[in-house]
Amino acid sequence: MTIVLGVLEEGLIYAIMALGVYITYKILDFPDLSVDGTFPMGAAVTAMLILKGVDPVVTLVLAFLGGAAAGCVTGFIHVKMKVRDLLSGIIVMTALYSINLRIAGKSNVPIFSKETIFENEWLTNHVPEALDPYVVTIILLIIVVICKILLDLYMQTRSGYLLRAVGDNDTLVTSLAKDKGMVKIIGLAIANGFAALAGCVYCQQKGFFEISMGTGTMVIGLANVIIGTKLLKKFGAVKATTAVIVGSIVYKACVSLAIALGMGASDLKLITSVLFLGILVFSNMQDGRGKTHA
Amino acid sequence: MKKSVKVMMMAAAMMALAGCSSNKAPETTAAPAETTAAATTGETTAAQAEETTTMPEGVAEIVDGTFTVGIGQFAEHGSLDNCRTGFLQGLADEGIVEGKNLTVLYENAQADGGTASQIMDNFLAKKADVICAIATPIAQSAYSAAKKDGVPVIYTAVTDPVLAELAGADGTPVGEITGTSDKLPVEKQLEMIRKMLPDAKKIGIMYSTSEINSVSAIEEYKAAAGNYGFEIVESGISTTADIPLAADNLLGKVDCLNNLTDNTVVSSLPLILDKAAKKNIPVFGSEVEQVKIGCLAAVGLDYVKLGEQTGKMAAKVLKGEKKASEMNFEVIEEAAFYGNNKVAENLGVEIPAELADSAAGLFDEITVK
Amino acid sequence: MLELNHIGKYYNAGTVNEMCLFDDFSLTIQDGEFVSVVGSNGSGKTSMLNIICGSIPLDAGSIKIGGKDITRMPEYQRQRRIGRVYQNPAMGTCPSMTILENMALADNKGKPFNLLPGTNRQRIDFYREQLHFLGLGLEDKLEVKVGVLSGGQRQAMALLMSTMTPIEFLILDEHTAALDPKTADIIMELTDKVVREKHLTTIMVTHNLRFAVEYGNRLLMMHQGNAIIDKCGAEKAEIKIESILDKFNEISIECGN
Repeated sequence: MTIVLGVLEEGLIYAIMALGVYITYKILDFPDLSVDGTFPMGAAVTAMLILKGVDPVVTLVLAFLGGAAAGCVTGFIHVKMKVRDLLSGIIVMTALYSINLRIAGKSNVPIFSKETIFENEWLTNHVPEALDPYVVTIILLIIVVICKILLDLYMQTRSGYLLRAVGDNDTLVTSLAKDKGMVKIIGLAIANGFAALAGCVYCQQKGFFEISMGTGTMVIGLANVIIGTKLLKKFGAVKATTAVIVGSIVYKACVSLAIALGMGASDLKLITSVLFLGILVFSNMQDGRGKTHA
Repeated sequence: MKKSVKVMMMAAAMMALAGCSSNKAPETTAAPAETTAAATTGETTAAQAEETTTMPEGVAEIVDGTFTVGIGQFAEHGSLDNCRTGFLQGLADEGIVEGKNLTVLYENAQADGGTASQIMDNFLAKKADVICAIATPIAQSAYSAAKKDGVPVIYTAVTDPVLAELAGADGTPVGEITGTSDKLPVEKQLEMIRKMLPDAKKIGIMYSTSEINSVSAIEEYKAAAGNYGFEIVESGISTTADIPLAADNLLGKVDCLNNLTDNTVVSSLPLILDKAAKKNIPVFGSEVEQVKIGCLAAVGLDYVKLGEQTGKMAAKVLKGEKKASEMNFEVIEEAAFYGNNKVAENLGVEIPAELADSAAGLFDEITVK
Repeated sequence: MLELNHIGKYYNAGTVNEMCLFDDFSLTIQDGEFVSVVGSNGSGKTSMLNIICGSIPLDAGSIKIGGKDITRMPEYQRQRRIGRVYQNPAMGTCPSMTILENMALADNKGKPFNLLPGTNRQRIDFYREQLHFLGLGLEDKLEVKVGVLSGGQRQAMALLMSTMTPIEFLILDEHTAALDPKTADIIMELTDKVVREKHLTTIMVTHNLRFAVEYGNRLLMMHQGNAIIDKCGAEKAEIKIESILDKFNEISIECGN
């Protein structure tokens, strides 16, 4: 049971970030590496704010905004300074390393003793003891579902339509008398907002910020998105956002399984890429054609 | 549906395959884990024979009952490996012997925070009686994962448990968690450098900005340096790739280099030593392994001993003598001097007799890893 | 009224590879004109459209629409008054969105793209009516993704979408070239119908001389950055395919092929 809860917790946290990667990778077709920097940025912002006594719930919003600002910078560098997409992300990711250190003040900031959204007086007083082991998972589930619903709703707005259009066919966006660059910047802002939000939740759940926690975020996000969308493709009715969340949990379950089977962490990345490749190839074989985004 | 099931099965099959090829058996029972541990640290244990063989090995009576300990190590690293070896030795001294009444689950997070917390979940699922966490980040992961289940955590190689919020300001545990700190003996190190190099003024220290332990050690060095007439020149790096440039830059400005236990810097130590040797600049280390591979000298910790001390604390918890929450974290009592005669000869530096006589280890050659 | 004044456009300016596309090219198009533009490859037809739309920058000269100078206006802002249909049917629609969503997108042109619902349910009947006008049965497939439609269907939608909101100019960039002859005919008829119905000022670049002769009330033949034929009104009506073809051969011989 512990392991199932553990997988759910990890999977749900990374699902928030994966929703962002879904926007950049699937919708905008933009391999955005800045999430490697915005994920820990969310955590750094959160750790600092919580130490300053800011309400943990408020940090969720502020972390999102911080990430969104960083996403705007990536977008600005790409759109206005005409730097290639991958490079823009790398530039911002690199800069964020230093910025995150500045925000947090040091490379490791524990907040064990503080109240978080997972551990606070209100929860202690209101949640029956029997539910205690499930509290974290339930809270995470609520956050993820809210994020998913908000994103789904956004995609149905005029602005959301434009975002979908820009990844599909940016000429059309120009034809609609809209600046496609602005639309990309908005998309990157939302995506990095989600990454930072995930970092914020991660920090609150684990009880500390650590500068190295962002390494490989983008790859995990991509794996989540691809696993989710490929696995659930057959079920046409399943929304892509739902698929991404399922993908995140499946991914973490696989990692957990690998660890439980006694595989060393040194082999984990290899296993991840083999799993990744396997799903891509398998899915292409099912399609009967070699066409894929990746 | 059929398709997704197939994919899952395929994934599982792939993992199983990978599992077979890795040298660890799926169920990490005592015996194979011991072989792995011995294999990675074999060299170390042999080299330290003079110390370890004097230990009353296997004298302790085997304690009744069976125990499971999950050892989570943050990174693959000589000092941390030594901690683990020492930890198992410490347990054995107290009658808890791997393969007899102890099952060891060992995982290495390879410096990945996400993996660290999954390792902890895995230990909890396998009902570990005690979790041993080696190094700060994984100790924090262990604490946040284990506290809901109330499984005790014993950490080691955490430089500053107070700063990491694993202990209160007075050293009392914050929960079912305690252990040992590998705080560097800064004052003693500076004193030693002064004795070795009476004319030196500037000490260069390279550290990675991402490692909290290094950052706090730098602060301590800066505060204490004045007392010994030194000035600290620091150089922060963020990745291994920054090291060559930073080293060149630093070596031009200082009289000697001093090395912390910084994981990133230590892993590139041979490169730094090579550059320093060309300029005839001495490099001081912070623990015995660094002296073996070419640092001039160090007042440092013996991580095996640190591990042993930790193992004894874990044994108390396992035997039910004390709870983790009832023990304050401990620091290793004495720091020992280590010197390398070969390096001294190359540099034309004399190791003062006063230091040489009290040395816990003097090496006559440079071990190339 | 659209005015191109003394347009200059050079590629690789200042190098030995300098290529002059336009040098002091001027053209005025009156409101309500339907201009067909023909010419060989590299004669500057599509470049002219790109210059009007702002897709490529100018080296000299100015562009005015209705007397207002738009030379420095970015491409996307010009598009507010311009509708453009491309040669590639994929350029005018969003393949992963449904027909309804595409219609709603086009309908919102010129309005703010804010957080209001993307599809205004009350407009659905209007969209149906518009799609019915195409006569392709698309009005019954509102929830179908545009990506699964044929090239002709998509081009018809692109035409409809680019003319849905009030625009001053319709720019057709070889918009029948990628279609089979029968579909091309259908799209061309539709185009004519839309242009007449909405009284649009239109510029159509085409390689199909028959279309150029049959449709529109002005005909331009471009060659080396200049209009070597420019006929309108009654003169245009008298033009025969043969005479254009002769002219084509003439300039081709001049060029040595």
